[in-house]
Amino acid sequence: MKEAVERWIDAQKKKLRKEPVTSEDLDALMNCLQEPRQHVLYLYSKSTNMRSPIASWSHCDPTKPQEPTLPSQELPYASVLEAMADGWRVVQFPISKLYRYEEVDNDYLGFEFVLEKWI
Amino acid sequence: MTDVKPTMTDSDVMDFIAQGYVLLEGIIGEDFNSQCDALPKGNANAFISSDVFKKELLLHPKLAGVARSLLGENFRVPDGGHHHVYEAPHYGQTWHSDGLSGSGYDVTTLQCYYYPKAVEIEDGPTMILPGSHCRAVDREAIAHYGDVLGQVSLTVPAGTVALTRYGIWHKAGPKTNDQKRSMIKFSYYRASSPIRDWQIDSKEIPEYKNRARLPYVTEVESYRDRVRRERTWNWLCGVNT
Repeated sequence: MKEAVERWIDAQKKKLRKEPVTSEDLDALMNCLQEPRQHVLYLYSKSTNMRSPIASWSHCDPTKPQEPTLPSQELPYASVLEAMADGWRVVQFPISKLYRYEEVDNDYLGFEFVLEKWI
Repeated sequence: MTDVKPTMTDSDVMDFIAQGYVLLEGIIGEDFNSQCDALPKGNANAFISSDVFKKELLLHPKLAGVARSLLGENFRVPDGGHHHVYEAPHYGQTWHSDGLSGSGYDVTTLQCYYYPKAVEIEDGPTMILPGSHCRAVDREAIAHYGDVLGQVSLTVPAGTVALTRYGIWHKAGPKTNDQKRSMIKFSYYRASSPIRDWQIDSKEIPEYKNRARLPYVTEVESYRDRVRRERTWNWLCGVNT
């Protein structure tokens, strides 16, 4: 938060040489003062290996307006590892024992990794 | 229903076994589609069991031809169902299969979705997950599932009917506008033992020709899918498995 406020102050110093601070600038400052909030990303990997491709996903973003969004076929990341490279932290790994392996019946899609990021 | 002609070939039936649904786009004409405008939401038993619904829709040669192909002679025509109507924007439903459906490899029920009006992506179309129809699932345990690679949003022209193997994962998709979206749901049922009596070229039963792996399916699941599909094929052909 401190870094974000410092960046805002630097930007306003430059701006004030040419124009006044606006209410939008103050809204931006308020955003800088927000405590980081937890984002959760479910990634269903095609194996327990973090390099495996992704079968399904869901992103819970508490900072966006809670309103319907259209479905997507655009993968947020190609793998769990790629999400980690973008700053996501794994908070739950799939537990193999939870995935039944009996004959040919099945009731799951992929191996569930739960990741978080504080933004 | 002995006068209903099957419309599907071996290859069509194999496709259905892999995908779990058949989509008949725009088969019902505007004259009948517009008769559904005034139908209230909720229980639609009276409308679905009416002579006009039976004549114009349930016994439409293309629709009944699929039912005849997959459910055999003397299949039971729906005599009730439900009218699903959405108007206000909403998040959409979570993935589910209806009732306790999904387990097993038979085809005894075809659940149908009929759209009297065209459905656009903003209208919150029904979404289905091809190939999920034999995965019995606890809907509350997967309520956090989001987008799935290979999911299909049924954005369709007016007069479209989707026939699904009861058990396919589906949901009402997220709706971002306030246009009325209407879907009438009903089911055909099997009333005879399975036998390969759809459109066939020879009496010799071919082996199941496996279909492509679905986008969300893992390596081992693709092997399981092949076994599941072969079992359904053999079951439909009346071959002991």
